[in-house]
Amino acid sequence: MSVAAQSELGLTRSRSAQWAPALAAVCGLLLVAATAEIVLDGALGHSALIPKSPEIAGWMRGLGERLGYRVFLIAILVSAGAYAGLLALAHAVSKRAAIILIGTLQLIVFAGPILLSTDVFSYIAYARMGVEHGLNPYTHGPLAIANDPIYRYVGQDWKHVATAYGPLYTLLSYPLALLGLKGALWGMKLAALLASAGTLALTWRCACIRGFSPVAAILAVGVNPLYLIYGLGGAHNDLIMLLLMMAAVSLTFAGRDAAAAVSVVAGALVKVTVAALLPFMILARRSRAQLLGAAGALALGAVIAYAAFGIHGVDVVAALNRDSAFVSTDSFPAEIAHLFGKPGVFPVDHDLLKAALVVIVLHLLWRTWRGYDWVAAAGWTLLAISVTSTWLLAWYILWPLPLAVIARDRRLLVATLFVQGLFVVHQITPLLAPVS
Amino acid sequence: MSAAPAPEAPPPPQPAYAARLPEWARPREVEPRGSGRMRLVETTLLLLAALLLAVATINDVVRQTHVNARLVTDLRTWRTVTGHDYHNLAIAQDIYGHTTREVVCGNTSPGGPKERVQLCLVITGPVVGGLRASHGGWYLPPKVEDLRAYRYGCFGTALARGQCPR
Repeated sequence: MSVAAQSELGLTRSRSAQWAPALAAVCGLLLVAATAEIVLDGALGHSALIPKSPEIAGWMRGLGERLGYRVFLIAILVSAGAYAGLLALAHAVSKRAAIILIGTLQLIVFAGPILLSTDVFSYIAYARMGVEHGLNPYTHGPLAIANDPIYRYVGQDWKHVATAYGPLYTLLSYPLALLGLKGALWGMKLAALLASAGTLALTWRCACIRGFSPVAAILAVGVNPLYLIYGLGGAHNDLIMLLLMMAAVSLTFAGRDAAAAVSVVAGALVKVTVAALLPFMILARRSRAQLLGAAGALALGAVIAYAAFGIHGVDVVAALNRDSAFVSTDSFPAEIAHLFGKPGVFPVDHDLLKAALVVIVLHLLWRTWRGYDWVAAAGWTLLAISVTSTWLLAWYILWPLPLAVIARDRRLLVATLFVQGLFVVHQITPLLAPVS
Repeated sequence: MSAAPAPEAPPPPQPAYAARLPEWARPREVEPRGSGRMRLVETTLLLLAALLLAVATINDVVRQTHVNARLVTDLRTWRTVTGHDYHNLAIAQDIYGHTTREVVCGNTSPGGPKERVQLCLVITGPVVGGLRASHGGWYLPPKVEDLRAYRYGCFGTALARGQCPR
């Protein structure tokens, strides 16, 4: 290359380096604006996207219009574009700017109404069943407390359904039942916010240990529109599961194998999916402390669950089997069925999907045994679970994200973001053909 | 300035008894380097899976867009047939997706959703002149869902098919 050409290239690089912080700031502002739009419009109350809820964001009323599909989808698309831009420009974002942006976005969502999901009302209903009504949430659906004020907010599909969440989560949610409806709702929102902050702090720590840019890692998780709007916006307990998952990873990196195993088991007692980490951790470390920690935590958890909820509190397999039969229109198996001209997913498809998942997991276990990055293997497994699940919700495709940003196999991050992108694309139909 | 990535920290120490394990069973920090064939096969499979998911997603968006366009026609048909320009109408689709037959229900006089006697029309066939065909239907009392037990006053094809209990 000639000296002139080298100088030209250097100038271009220097110019783009000058513009990068400004472009990153624009992306950050777009994210804040789009998130604020959703929250302010959502604060106006019940719509197709905002579930009926006790009024908790009334002070925001009057600043927006009732949230409809058009505004919501445009805001999500803008957020997704700004998020992609921010990831590309992450090298130009300072630590302070990243933390301020993430904090601002999370506080905007925290201050607003419950977005897009009625799940949090199910959590509160199960807690109130146990505390206020003396009923076992593992044997009764919220229908059993039809006279309770929370009942009218529980999603139609879940009124008959007993809880599928882990006994640790159910017990942790019990104190919130004593705070009344609004108090419990704020408690759930605060738990989700704190879990999110903890997950991001641990992601930062793990990224530093692995030699990745911690700023890029926390931006990839903390300003992700699905994480913010769907995960935190719905105050989903998946965020608590992610916190315990990242605690396990961080503890493993620190060589504290027993504590790491206890953390995974605790996560599985919140939401069983995270148990997928355990075999990969064990294969990677092959430590006796890990096995003893996992066995001890599992035994203790089982005893507590049995004492609190009887055999139904221990039998998570039954709940998993029940939920794995559900089909959502956003699931990839349903989309593939439509592609091949079938009206939907049939029982045989469930079996094929389970078989495919088993093959993937066995392959990943074999590779982990040979020395493949166990964090990546666990992330691929969580991604495979969400892609092969016939019941797919936005917050399920968040599961592999914190692992993907610290995995040595960068294909995992690309695949996770690709799947999330497809999920967003699948939402845009009402924008193309609104029904009114 | 951004927080620059640091070199990777050394891995945690191996558990003490790992040294006593036979060579093949000891935990490994990195996979033995192969010819790269495994990675190539995995990447190819991932790309094929990505292609399948992308095509299925786009196909589903297009399919759902057509369905939504048909539902808009159904609403227009109900409003044209009844002469009521109401907005709170309920549409029920064939849950199996085997047919394009839809049932649209709405109030027969002004009021909140399902607050008045409802008129349900069975709508079928292709879109002609911005409308679809309606050759039958039934009435429902206020505040009920469209369940067979509540239907009365069936007319047209619904009467012929016995879609009202009495």
